[in-house]
Amino acid sequence: MRILIILAALLGFSCTKKIDLNEKVLNLSVTAEIKGMDPIYANDMYSSNEVARVYEGLLQYHYLKRPYTLVPNLADKMPTVSKDGLTYTFKIKKGVLFHDDAAFHGGIGRELVAADFVYSIKRLADPKLQSLGWWLLQGKLLGLDDWRKKYAEKDKVDYTEAVAGVKALDKYTLQFKLKKSFPQFLYALAMPFTYAVSKEVVAKYGKEFLNHPVGTGAFILPVFTQSNKIIYIKNPKFRDKYYPTDVSEEFNTPYYLADAGKKLPLVEKVVVNIMKEQQPRWLNFGKGRIDVIGIPKDNFEAAVTPDRSLTDDMAKKGITLIKNVALDVTYIAFNHDDPLFKNIYLRRAMSLAYDPHAFNKLFNNDLAMVAQSLVPPGISGYMPSYTNPYVGPKVEEGKKMLAKAGYENGVGLPEIIYDTSSATVNRQMGEFFKKQMAKIGIKIKVVTNPWPQLQEKITKRKVQVFGIAWGADYPDAENFLQLLYGPNRAPGANGSGYDNPEFNRLFEVSSLMQDSPERTALYEKMYRIAAEQVPWIFGVHRQNFILRHGFLKNYVASDFDQGSAQYLNIDLKKKAEILKKL
Amino acid sequence: MATEQQSKSLWQHAWETLLRDKMAVVAMIIIFVYMAMAVLSATGIIVSDWAAEVGPSYGAPSLDHWFGLDMFGRSVLAKTIKGTEVAISVGFIASLLSLVIGVTLGSIAGYFGGRVDEFIVWFYTTFTSIPNIMLLVAITFISGKGLKAVILALGLTGWVSLCRLIRGEVIRHKDREYVHAASAIGGGNYRKLVKHILPNVTHIMIISFSLQFQIAIKSEVILSYLGLGVQGRPSWGIMIDDAKLELARGVWWQLGAATFAMALVVLAFNILGDALRDALDPKLKGK
Repeated sequence: MRILIILAALLGFSCTKKIDLNEKVLNLSVTAEIKGMDPIYANDMYSSNEVARVYEGLLQYHYLKRPYTLVPNLADKMPTVSKDGLTYTFKIKKGVLFHDDAAFHGGIGRELVAADFVYSIKRLADPKLQSLGWWLLQGKLLGLDDWRKKYAEKDKVDYTEAVAGVKALDKYTLQFKLKKSFPQFLYALAMPFTYAVSKEVVAKYGKEFLNHPVGTGAFILPVFTQSNKIIYIKNPKFRDKYYPTDVSEEFNTPYYLADAGKKLPLVEKVVVNIMKEQQPRWLNFGKGRIDVIGIPKDNFEAAVTPDRSLTDDMAKKGITLIKNVALDVTYIAFNHDDPLFKNIYLRRAMSLAYDPHAFNKLFNNDLAMVAQSLVPPGISGYMPSYTNPYVGPKVEEGKKMLAKAGYENGVGLPEIIYDTSSATVNRQMGEFFKKQMAKIGIKIKVVTNPWPQLQEKITKRKVQVFGIAWGADYPDAENFLQLLYGPNRAPGANGSGYDNPEFNRLFEVSSLMQDSPERTALYEKMYRIAAEQVPWIFGVHRQNFILRHGFLKNYVASDFDQGSAQYLNIDLKKKAEILKKL
Repeated sequence: MATEQQSKSLWQHAWETLLRDKMAVVAMIIIFVYMAMAVLSATGIIVSDWAAEVGPSYGAPSLDHWFGLDMFGRSVLAKTIKGTEVAISVGFIASLLSLVIGVTLGSIAGYFGGRVDEFIVWFYTTFTSIPNIMLLVAITFISGKGLKAVILALGLTGWVSLCRLIRGEVIRHKDREYVHAASAIGGGNYRKLVKHILPNVTHIMIISFSLQFQIAIKSEVILSYLGLGVQGRPSWGIMIDDAKLELARGVWWQLGAATFAMALVVLAFNILGDALRDALDPKLKGK
């Protein structure tokens, strides 16, 4: 559910002109507009990261453990699971308070109870709300699908009607009953879609709830407006949550452990700047107004030497280089509702003509890895030795394939519209695609859209081909494979609307299985099908090159960034020193 | 011995005045070269292969490629010329469109006066109270992006000042003797307005056309820079947008070429506009 745009999309940090050194302020930035602060609509990386500053879920990833490990967040401890693996019972933490808000009695945030999770899960399933995360739990919880179906035709949705799959046994006990095995269920509970909201707040603000986030999280956002800056303040009533002391070997260093055992959050304020363009981000980083940044393609040479280490110039300023292989895949998706792309030869022809190696050079400084199919390296289901026969550049084969598709030299083929997001780099990627297709005579028109509009276009199926990327929600290939599972079509995560009975069947079988060699075999089978059927033109798996300033403490590159701001710290003394050097 | 001197018409006189102004002649030559490039590129005689890859990514200016190469190894010179086509066609059609609207509304308002005048004046004052750039953005959003939308947007926003001028001139002219004479011999409204008054305000149209032309070119560049302009073909605005990123790696030639091309033609149009005013405005004659 994290769709990232196709460029290096990372956080950075920023602040006002005069840098205030009396208060610990984290200055973050995002690269696209935020849709809003409602967990059930947070289906892109940018929105879900923002949502996760205010709201929390039952579980989270341990901040300093690799491989990624789930730990309790709002849950008191990990759930007890019944023998058949279908019933999960959670105890939730006592004394967790919602942020103060006029929606509550006396304006004081009340205590979080198990019923809030029942409400939030039902809200995700509410047929009237068109949630963008329903795909996550569709067909998974006992009775929830029936509940959703029942109220789809009625005028009002009745939240008081009990659903067997999600129940509050008492004030602090929450029970989930699954319809069938769902090995990724716990991962789902760490995703913002399932975070806890309060029904009083939803009732008070109605449609405006999107702009009035009231959660239990470490930070408070009084009101969300569509501007270029979002300012969060520390939640003074945040429960006793502490910086972890048990960390993986690679994090067992003073840099990460200086704050071990301290109460979270560590900063007073988080400022998130929306900076779509790379150069303003880069310049702000240079001035110390942004604390961490993914290196823009055009600034790469200024920051990184040919042997992939930091330049002296940067090192002198106390900047550190962090390399992180991302669990992601970039791709150009076909809209399979368009009769044009039912023609597999056309899809293959386009894939053959496309040159992902050149793309890698131009846009990723040759650091990414050309994708053969949709699963990235690092999780089981990825096949290191497999080469997709339809990955270009094979222009001559592409031409032959296009003739086989019935459009020799592109004759008879209408102009195809390529939609993308509106930053300059995305337009350049569009131009790149256009150039590639021109090699075999296919005409492309590049259309740029603001990020929320692009997503809406995809959800409403008003696209032909579009450039986009997917970052993992949880470390399981299932999260990538579900992108092509037919019943997950948009508004689910399958934005291309690909629907292949064979693939669907395999997916359904594998989705019930626990991690095992048999499941990996099925994953690999699907990996192959996806490669050979060319439902998308595959791009690259990226490697992120991140710079952070010396005064930013505890920063760790992660594929699952939700909630990470509470662990970050600013060394004000060091910041004062470093700012003098910049 | 006195020779018979032939009297010169206004236009002949203006033309001669114009030719005496060296700057104006240079400006005209520059504009002619741009027009020629635009026509040649539109008809595919030159730079039809602008999209071809002719060298390495970000190749620096050299003898082979005077303006260097862009990120896809395309010639920046070819892109600049292709951009001329967009700029000139947008400038020409958009200013023609605003000319037609401005003259029509302005002359109707000035000639008929009364309610008609009040309505048109109300309309354009309301219209101008909307910030121009917002209006441009709104129009491109409604009509979709692309060359047509840009032309439409610029044509529909550029007519107000001309409309005002024409209205004022027509009001001045409509009570002149020659118009009364035309009425006396039975000329109708249409005849008086089109045959008698309009020819006497033509100089305003020409001057304003040449000035509107360069405003349209500049606006096109801004719109394209913002991503609202032409799509999928070179435009100076898009080149500058690219340059925004490239400058970080020291690639200045795309910015240089686009800015130079735009500055030169805009300057030429401004000089020509001034010269035309000097030559055509009867009040300035002989000064």
